[in-house]
Amino acid sequence: MLGPGVAWYVAVAAVLFGIGALGVLIRRNTLVVLLSLELMLNAGNLALIAFSRHFHNGAGQIFALAVMAIAASEVCVGLGLVVALNRRRLSLDVDRLSELRG
Amino acid sequence: MSTLVVASSAGNVLVWIVWIVAGFSCLAAGVAVISFSNPFYSALALIGNLASLAVMYLLLSAEFVAAAQVLVYAGAVVVMFLFVIAYVGPRHETPWSGGPSWQTVAAVAAAGALLVEIVVAIGLEAGGSLSHSGKVGAAFGSPAWIGRVFLVDHLLAFEITSIVLLVAAVGGVILGTHTRRLQGEEVVN
Amino acid sequence: MTGGAWLCLLAPLGGTIVITLLGTRISRLAAAWIATTTVFVAFGGAVWAFVDMQSRQVGSRSEITTAWTWLQSGNFKVGLELLVDPLSAVMMLIVSGVGGLIVLYSIGYMDGDEEERRYFAYISFFVFSMLLLVEGGNLLMLLIGWGLVGLSSYLLIGFWHDRPSAVQAAKKAFVMNALGDATMALAFFILIAHTNSLSFATDFNAHLSGTAANFVALGLLGGAVAKSAQIPLQTWLPDAMEGPTPVSALIHAATMVTAGVYLIARTHPLFEQARTIELLAAGTGALTLLVAGLIALVQTDIKKVIAYSTMSQIGYMFLGAGVGAYSSGMFHLLTHAFFKALLFMTAGLAIHAIAGEQDIRKLRGIGRLMPFTKWCFLAGALALVGIPPFSGFFSKDPIISSAAALGTWYGWIFWVCGVAGAFLTGLYTFRLWFLVFPGEPSPFVREHYHDHHGREGAWTMLVPVGILAVLATFAGWLQWTPHWDPFTKWLEPVAPTLAAAVPTTTQEYYTSAAAVVAGLVGIGVAWAVYSRRTIAIPAAPFWRRLFENKFYFDWLYDRIFYRPAAATATFLLRDFEDPVILQAGPDLGEATIETGGLVRRLQTGLLRTYVLFVAAGAAAVVLAFLIAK
Repeated sequence: MLGPGVAWYVAVAAVLFGIGALGVLIRRNTLVVLLSLELMLNAGNLALIAFSRHFHNGAGQIFALAVMAIAASEVCVGLGLVVALNRRRLSLDVDRLSELRG
Repeated sequence: MSTLVVASSAGNVLVWIVWIVAGFSCLAAGVAVISFSNPFYSALALIGNLASLAVMYLLLSAEFVAAAQVLVYAGAVVVMFLFVIAYVGPRHETPWSGGPSWQTVAAVAAAGALLVEIVVAIGLEAGGSLSHSGKVGAAFGSPAWIGRVFLVDHLLAFEITSIVLLVAAVGGVILGTHTRRLQGEEVVN
Repeated sequence: MTGGAWLCLLAPLGGTIVITLLGTRISRLAAAWIATTTVFVAFGGAVWAFVDMQSRQVGSRSEITTAWTWLQSGNFKVGLELLVDPLSAVMMLIVSGVGGLIVLYSIGYMDGDEEERRYFAYISFFVFSMLLLVEGGNLLMLLIGWGLVGLSSYLLIGFWHDRPSAVQAAKKAFVMNALGDATMALAFFILIAHTNSLSFATDFNAHLSGTAANFVALGLLGGAVAKSAQIPLQTWLPDAMEGPTPVSALIHAATMVTAGVYLIARTHPLFEQARTIELLAAGTGALTLLVAGLIALVQTDIKKVIAYSTMSQIGYMFLGAGVGAYSSGMFHLLTHAFFKALLFMTAGLAIHAIAGEQDIRKLRGIGRLMPFTKWCFLAGALALVGIPPFSGFFSKDPIISSAAALGTWYGWIFWVCGVAGAFLTGLYTFRLWFLVFPGEPSPFVREHYHDHHGREGAWTMLVPVGILAVLATFAGWLQWTPHWDPFTKWLEPVAPTLAAAVPTTTQEYYTSAAAVVAGLVGIGVAWAVYSRRTIAIPAAPFWRRLFENKFYFDWLYDRIFYRPAAATATFLLRDFEDPVILQAGPDLGEATIETGGLVRRLQTGLLRTYVLFVAAGAAAVVLAFLIAK
C-alpha cells in the first residue's frame, strides 16, 4: 500500500474521536453538540474504512455506509427536536434543559 | 514505521503529502467545529472536515464511500444543519464556560483518556499486524463491488437501514409539525 | 407414698392455674375457696405419704420418683425428681398444713379486696413452690423451688402495688434473695465440676477437697442466710411486712424463711465436710438471735416486732443446725411454724378489726374488746418465750443445750447467747403483750373497733387461729429430749445428729432451767416496765439510736451498694445512653442524608455531565480490558 500504513489512519480517527467527545462534553449549544456528535461518527467511519482496507473486508465499508445513514436519521430527529424547542421559545442551552436535576 | 523506509518512490511521496494535508485539515477543522462560538461557523468547519475525510477515503480505495460522504453528509446533513441554524437565529456562547467546575477538567481528562487508550490499544494490540497491508484489486471500493456486497452478503443490514431511515423521516416530520399552542404556555429561557 | 407426694405438689399448682385461667369468670369467694381446697388436698396428700411411710421399715423410707429426664448434657443428667423421705415428709406436712390454715384465714382477711383472685393465685403458687423446694429430688429441683419461692415472695410482698413502700420492699427482698441464689448456684457449679452430678446421693457421698468443700458449704450458707434473713442479709424481712398479714404469717414466719434451715439439714453431709462453715452458720444464728432481739425492743409496729422475733427464732434454728443438732433445729422449725403463724394471725385479727392500725402506741387495751384474740396471742407468746408446758420450751432448749454439748469455747458462747436470747424474747414479746392487750382500751381503739357480725372476725379467721393456738400449746409434747424423742428418731435415717452435739441429760436440765428462768425474768421486767410502770425505760440514747436504726445495716447497705449503683445508672443514662445510643438513630439519619447530599451533586441535571459519565465509564472499561489483556 502506498502512503502511510493503516495505523496512521486509525490514529487520526482516534484523535478526531477525542476532539468530538470533547466538543460534546464542553459545548452548551445544542446544535454544536450535534455537530460534535457528527465528528465522532465520522471518526468511527474513518476507522472502519481503514480496517476494511487492511483486512480486505467489504463489511467495513458497508458498515460505514450504514453509519452514514444512521447519522443522517439521527441528525434529522435531533434537528426536529431543536426546531420544536425553538418553537416553544425554550432555551437551546443544554444546561438550561435540566429537568433531570436531582 | 517500516513502511516509511520501504516505499519511498515518487508516487509514495505524493500520497504521503496528500495524506498529511488531508489529515491536518481534518483535525484542524474538527478543532474549529468545537471552538467557534457562532454555530454557523462551526457547521461550515464541519464541511471542511467532511471533505478531508472524503480525501482520506479515496486514499484508502473506498471511492463509493467517499462519494457518498460528500453527497450525503456534506450535501444533505450539513445543509440541514445550516437551515436550522439560520432558522434558530444567532446565538453566541462562550464555548468553554458554564456547568460545574469539575466539568471542564473532567471532560478533557475523559476525552484524553479515551484517545490515549485507543492509541495504546491499537498500537499494542495490532501494531505488528497493521504494519503491512497488501495490495487490493481495482474493483475494491468501486460502486459495483459495494452494491454486490451490500445486496448479497449484507442484505439484512440494507433492509434495516432503510427502515431506520423511514422511521427517522416520520419522526422528523412529527417533531416539526405545528402543534396547537397549549394554554398558559410560558417562555422559558 | 410417691402418689401422695405428687398429689401434694401438684394440687396447689392446679389451683393456681385454675384461678388464673378462669379469671373474672368466677367470683372472688370462689377463687378463695379453690385455693383453700387445693392446699388442703395437698395436706391430704402429705398425710397419705406420711402414713404410708410410717408403715414401712425404717431403712426403706426414702424414695425418689422421677417424672422424666429433664436435662441431659454429655454425662450430666438431671431428672424431674421428687424425693420422699422423713425430712421432706415433715416439711410437706408443715407447709401444706399450716399453709392450708393460713389460706383459710386469708378468706376472711382479704375479703373485700378488689384483687382477691390474684392474691389466691399467688398464694397457691407459693405453696406449690415451697413444696417443690422441700420435695425436690436433686439439687436442681431444690434450686428451682428456691427461686420460685423468692418470686412468690416478691409478688406477695408487693401485692398492694399502688403503695410505693410495698413495691420497694418487694424489690429489696427479691434482690437480696437473688444474692443468695447466686452463691448457691456457684456452689452447685463447683459440685458439678467435681462430681458431674446434682443428685443427692452422688453429691453427698462425694469426698471433696478441703477448699472445694468449704466453698460449696459457703455458697449454700449464703443462700440459706439470704432466704432466712440472717445477718448480714437480714434487712429485707422487716420491710416485707408491707405485704398482707397472712402472707407475713405463711411466707415470712412459717415456711419460706425456714427454707435455709431445711437446706442445711438436707445438705448436712456437705456441711459436715466443711465443719468450719457449719460452725459459722451456728455463729451467724447466734449473732442474729441477739441482734434481732435487741432491735425488737424498740419497734413500734406490731408486725415488725413479730418479724424481728422470727429473725431471732430462725437464728436459734441456725444455731441448732449449725452445731449438728439437725433434728432439734427442725423441731423448733415445727413448733415455730405453729406459734409464729398464730402470733401473726392474732395480730392480723386485731389489725383487721381496728381499721388496719399497726402502731402499738395507739393500740392499747384490745384485750377487753377481743378476748379470744387476747388468749390466743398469750398462748403464742408463752410458746415463743419457751415457758413450759407450751411448745417453745420443748424445742428451743435442746438447741441451746446442744451448744453446751460441744464443750468448746465457742459452744459456751453460743450457750450464753441462747440464754440471753431467751431473756430478750421474754422482754420484747411481753412488752408487746402488755402494751397492746391488757388494760383500758385507748380512745383510738374505742373509736375504730368494729366487730364482724358480733364476733371478733369471720369464722374463716377464727377457726385457724383456734387450731393453731391448740397446736402451739400442745404440739411440743411430741418430743421432750431427755425422756422421749420420736421426732429425732423419725429424722435419724436422713439427718442424724452429730455425736458432738448430743447433750447429756444434765446439760439438758440445767439449760432448760436457765432458759426458763431467763424467759420469766424477761417477762417480769416487761411487766414492771410496761404494765406496772414501776421501772422507767432507761434513756440510753446511744443504744436506743442503735436499735432504732437496726444496727445501721440499712444505712450501710445504702451507702455501699445502692448509691454507687444508682450513681452508675444515672451516669450511664446521662452520658452514654442519651448522647450515644439514643443519638445514634438521628446521627445515622443525618449521615445518610449528608451522603445523599454529596451523591446528589452528581445529578447536575446537565446533559453534558451525564455524557461525561458515559465517556468516563467507557474509558474505564477499555482500560480494564487493556489491563486484563
